[in-house]
Amino acid sequence: MRLACDTGGTFTDLVVESAARTRLFKAPTTPDDPVRGVLDAVAIAARGYGKDVSDFLAEVTTFIHGTTRSLNAIVTGNTARTAFLTTAGHPDILVFREGGRTDPFNFKVTPPAPYVSRSLTFEIPERIDARGRILRPMDERAVLTIIERMKALGIEAVGVCLLWSVANGVHERRIGELLAERFPQVFYSLSHELNPTLREYRRASATCIDASLKPLMFAYLDALTRRLKGAGYTGRTLMVTSQGGVMDADVVARSPIHSLNSGPAMAPIAGRYHAAAEYGDTVAIVADSGGTTYDISVVRDGRVPRTRETWIGPRFRGHMTGFSSVDVKSIGAGGGSIAWIDNGGLLQVGPQSAGATPGPAAYGKGGTEPTVTDCAIVLGYIDPDFFLGGAMRLDAALARHAVHSRIASRLSGTVEDAAVAILALATERMVGAINDITVNQGIDPEKAVLVAGGGAAGLNATAIARRLGAREVLLPAFGAALSAAGALVSDMISEYAAIVFTASSAFDFASVNAALTRLEGKCAGFFGEDGGELRYEFFAEARYVHQIWEIELPLPRARIETDADLAEFVAAFHREHKNLFGIEDVASPVEFVTWRVRAIRPAVPEACSSGASLPDSGSNALVRRRRVYFSSTGWIDVPVHRFEEIPIDDGTDGPCIAETSFTTIVAEPGTRLHRSPMNNLRIVV
Amino acid sequence: MSQTPPSATVSTGDPEPEAPVDPHMAVLASRLESIVRKMQNTLFRTARSGILNTGHDFSCVLLTADCRLLAAAESLPIHTLIGPDLICHAVKRHHPVLQRGDAFLHNDPYDGNSHAADHCLIAPVIDDDRTIRLFVLAKAHQADCGNSRPSTYLGDVVDVYQEGALIFSATKIQSDYQDNADIVRICRSRIRSSDQWWGDYLASLGAIRIGEREALALGDEIGWDTLDRHADAWFDYSEQKMKAAIRRLPSGTAKIATRHDPFPNVPDGIPVNVEVTIDAQNAKLTVDLRDNVDCQPCGLNLTESCSTSAALVGIFNSLNDPSVPTNAGSFRRIAVHLRRNCVVGIPQHPFSCSAATTNVADRLSNAVQRAISEIAPGYGMAETGPLQPPGAGVISGRSSGSAESQFVNQVHLAVTGGAGSATSDGFLTIIHAGNAGMCRIDSVEVDELHYPMLIETRRLVEDTEGAGEFRGAPSAYAEFGPTEGHSMDVAFMADGTINPAVGARGGGAGGVSKAFKRDRKGALSKLPPCHSVHLEAGERVVSYSAGGGGYGKPTNRNPGAVLNDVREGWVTRERAASIYGVAIAEDSTTGLLDIDQATTAALRKQLRTSPFTRP
Repeated sequence: MRLACDTGGTFTDLVVESAARTRLFKAPTTPDDPVRGVLDAVAIAARGYGKDVSDFLAEVTTFIHGTTRSLNAIVTGNTARTAFLTTAGHPDILVFREGGRTDPFNFKVTPPAPYVSRSLTFEIPERIDARGRILRPMDERAVLTIIERMKALGIEAVGVCLLWSVANGVHERRIGELLAERFPQVFYSLSHELNPTLREYRRASATCIDASLKPLMFAYLDALTRRLKGAGYTGRTLMVTSQGGVMDADVVARSPIHSLNSGPAMAPIAGRYHAAAEYGDTVAIVADSGGTTYDISVVRDGRVPRTRETWIGPRFRGHMTGFSSVDVKSIGAGGGSIAWIDNGGLLQVGPQSAGATPGPAAYGKGGTEPTVTDCAIVLGYIDPDFFLGGAMRLDAALARHAVHSRIASRLSGTVEDAAVAILALATERMVGAINDITVNQGIDPEKAVLVAGGGAAGLNATAIARRLGAREVLLPAFGAALSAAGALVSDMISEYAAIVFTASSAFDFASVNAALTRLEGKCAGFFGEDGGELRYEFFAEARYVHQIWEIELPLPRARIETDADLAEFVAAFHREHKNLFGIEDVASPVEFVTWRVRAIRPAVPEACSSGASLPDSGSNALVRRRRVYFSSTGWIDVPVHRFEEIPIDDGTDGPCIAETSFTTIVAEPGTRLHRSPMNNLRIVV
Repeated sequence: MSQTPPSATVSTGDPEPEAPVDPHMAVLASRLESIVRKMQNTLFRTARSGILNTGHDFSCVLLTADCRLLAAAESLPIHTLIGPDLICHAVKRHHPVLQRGDAFLHNDPYDGNSHAADHCLIAPVIDDDRTIRLFVLAKAHQADCGNSRPSTYLGDVVDVYQEGALIFSATKIQSDYQDNADIVRICRSRIRSSDQWWGDYLASLGAIRIGEREALALGDEIGWDTLDRHADAWFDYSEQKMKAAIRRLPSGTAKIATRHDPFPNVPDGIPVNVEVTIDAQNAKLTVDLRDNVDCQPCGLNLTESCSTSAALVGIFNSLNDPSVPTNAGSFRRIAVHLRRNCVVGIPQHPFSCSAATTNVADRLSNAVQRAISEIAPGYGMAETGPLQPPGAGVISGRSSGSAESQFVNQVHLAVTGGAGSATSDGFLTIIHAGNAGMCRIDSVEVDELHYPMLIETRRLVEDTEGAGEFRGAPSAYAEFGPTEGHSMDVAFMADGTINPAVGARGGGAGGVSKAFKRDRKGALSKLPPCHSVHLEAGERVVSYSAGGGGYGKPTNRNPGAVLNDVREGWVTRERAASIYGVAIAEDSTTGLLDIDQATTAALRKQLRTSPFTRP
């Protein structure tokens, strides 16, 4: 049995995959102690299977976890107090960045601040050159003085990035030893270990971001693995990484920068899977609508979008992470988004969220601000007695009171008018965010399918699709936990790289093949002895001589043994260069820099798409009609379909409501729904 | 520096409501921009010289079949606002019949190019019915262009013959997608590090061929007539946006006189006079540059492309409205008056325009944006730091040992210069006014890997920001030289060693540019501003870039922002008190800094009533 668990801002989603069927569970996220939310979800699941938690966990082999915790910490300024140690003479590496700007005439934006302030930046007397030779030995006494100064300043984490540490890491390593010895409680990251690449800014930035996350993520992942173990779990704990892969939790605890995009990274993978299954080759806009954020990505040509140079914040003005990442954009809008009236009398929605605590007013946990969820209750879309399959009872009167007292009473019109306006405004913000991305990429939404996931997706997915002009909305069966489900439908990938610099004019066969063998062994080691099919892929990053940016190219076979092998690979490089960049330079030698081996354990896709994988049928399946409010019709009696009771391949017309235990899908008048053989709901808008 | 008091009147015309954008128009405009971005990505990722593959000193554009600027993405304004259109016309004039697969090399400063170092490749995009639909153009600053000395900016030459650049005027370098090997051989025989040039040529060629491929695919997909209609609608929309932006300004005229520092052959420097007129009623902006001296016997004369583009840079810097597209449509609302044989006009052959994109062009942009700040409070901009110190110079040399180790390249090691605007502090790495920060800053490690050099120091210099409510960027300091066993020349031509970037509306001036040579014993000797210094191993060049000017009175600056500048080491506590009137106190136990509110209030009161204004 495998578990995938995604901790969002409002709900913690848990998807359980077993031989028999796949099931989905949700528990409120507990921001004060997020591990508790994870264990709550596990307890709910165990109950669902009629077992003790420890018996249930004993059957689990793999626990895959995604969380927005590290990115949230950076965005909200809750990372550790971090110092930056740099080579003497170069204190402004994080200030200069690599230069660059986007809009030549936009002077409305504030120039960016460095990730670590100059006041917490310390210059280490030392210098190593491009060939790794020590030009100036490190002054250890100066390092010790700096360590004492950092203690006095209350430093909690240290990013160490010295010039040319990638050619010779001796000084960085020695600083690490001195820190461990003299300042044992401080967390630190060494640049040549974390991200051994050329270019001091991106390496320094990655190192400081990583260090600043260590105290927080180390404590979190340590608690998670310890408490899971305490509850009876003996399997492996994996973390979703920013690249949409997985790593062992203890590895991520030691380099938490890989968890930055851990939360939403799997949503586009799930979106791609479902869009391809339903439509084949199409452009899919994948939107994950949770309680707090609305996460958007675009899948084209079957490829999950990745950014090569990932920035936290805007390009050139934010902070480069130094690693590639799945490309997902987030805005603060979701079921928990709060409606308010600004000082100019204008209605606004979000970005503040009621989160899980206190949650929407209808939760009855003390929330008084009206949220998107409250509006959906006011309009009859959400059945207050059947929220989370009836696991949580909502108070419609509180919802109505919040919308009335905070909004409707201050605007002209009824409570229903106010609720409709709030939902419409939330829809507009989401449409705007999608347009920013599709327009930027030159994508016409009219030719795209909207894959709508997340617990709040169904409330306005058809409205969003209509505003975009998209042709269809796809609501996957496990859409309510899109990211967690994505972790189960994705291949399991382990990838390792090494730098072996060589050129086609004097190719170092022995070193390259030795490196490939070593990397293949590391990949196999990741999967261990647990059997199962593994597929290997081999890559090199190569360039023409004097170029400085490489292109990644698959090797024709596992090793480069003969001159003919090399000639074949070099010819492939010329072809790919011409294909990508319109030109080739066949007279130029080709340089190879990085070698990469990827081992892939293909996913077993049946589990998530088979007809057996129905969400739980609640106890409330008898309700067949409900009064709901649309601005175009006013109050109207519409049919309510249980998602799993809609006959496969049989359509039905809107207006109507389709419900699962985890989500409510509002089909506006004029739409047409049908459930596909793959158990997804398709709505033509 | 003389200055005519501005005459300002308030416009009575109500701003027109802005027309809503058709979403399809936005999508198409964006698709054209993404074609340009693909071209730029190709050039950046495949080029061989550091100035291109790290410095990003190049631009790519799409032009309509009648040579109007349509899309330029993240290109250098001084390269692209006006120039690609002139080059396109030159190609059509010299080659009335164009075929698919043609490409032209053009760097002629007397016929539309910016300066000789910018090699342009331009190709027509021709549909299956043999109709010209668009032009694609890539303009890339070369590491070397065959000049008489190893620098692409020769400020001290009397004419183009002494400059020595190879000049190509709409020269057909490809037919049917095949190189004209004769042209390639001419370049290879005269351009230093010719393999590097060849690789950079291929990178530019790749850029225009990728642009052509993408444009043809777009035309096939949506139809060429739709694309033509889009271009017209997009220009109309851009013009409307420009009209709305101008109508937010008051009408008025301002004259600003400024001066480039003295250089060889121009002992009094070069005076630059601009007259800017805002006509809000008719939504028209005029820049008159005709009252200026004739072309000068130096390399600082502007080209037609740079005179016009530099004036436009000053205008767009001033509008506070980044939503106005920069293209042939918005330019309809602007008139720039030039005259022939003028240092800031249309150059007369054989006067040299070797450095036309930077020094005098930046003086011109700065004067225009400052003129607008005089007419229109809350608009305009202070002056951007002048170029170009050794930290942005051209390095060259020959590594001892191997024969194939000649090197030449421009570095972007330590340049800053951003000016304070009406809404924000100066952007640190704006580089120079015509650049707008589109170029990148070098990585120390990349430079040390590719060239036999060691960069001892690169850091910002405190108290060099032009003070202001919105301050300028501080100067950058760099110290570098050849590694053991090598020698190196560093060529530079720094304006701003005497005349700094001045502030606007009460803002202060940025720090001046300086250059020194440090000998093996560590002693410093001052270097002339326009110079090429020879360095042996153990010797270093020391470079201070110019800081940017400030906008508005320093005593109006948010004290929290001043505190932050002190914490970041940009401004000392002494200067915070004496110039900004902000007293910063240090907690004796923690060493943390905070604002002393009472002393600050008193200081500010005193500074605001003082009859003297500090720099």
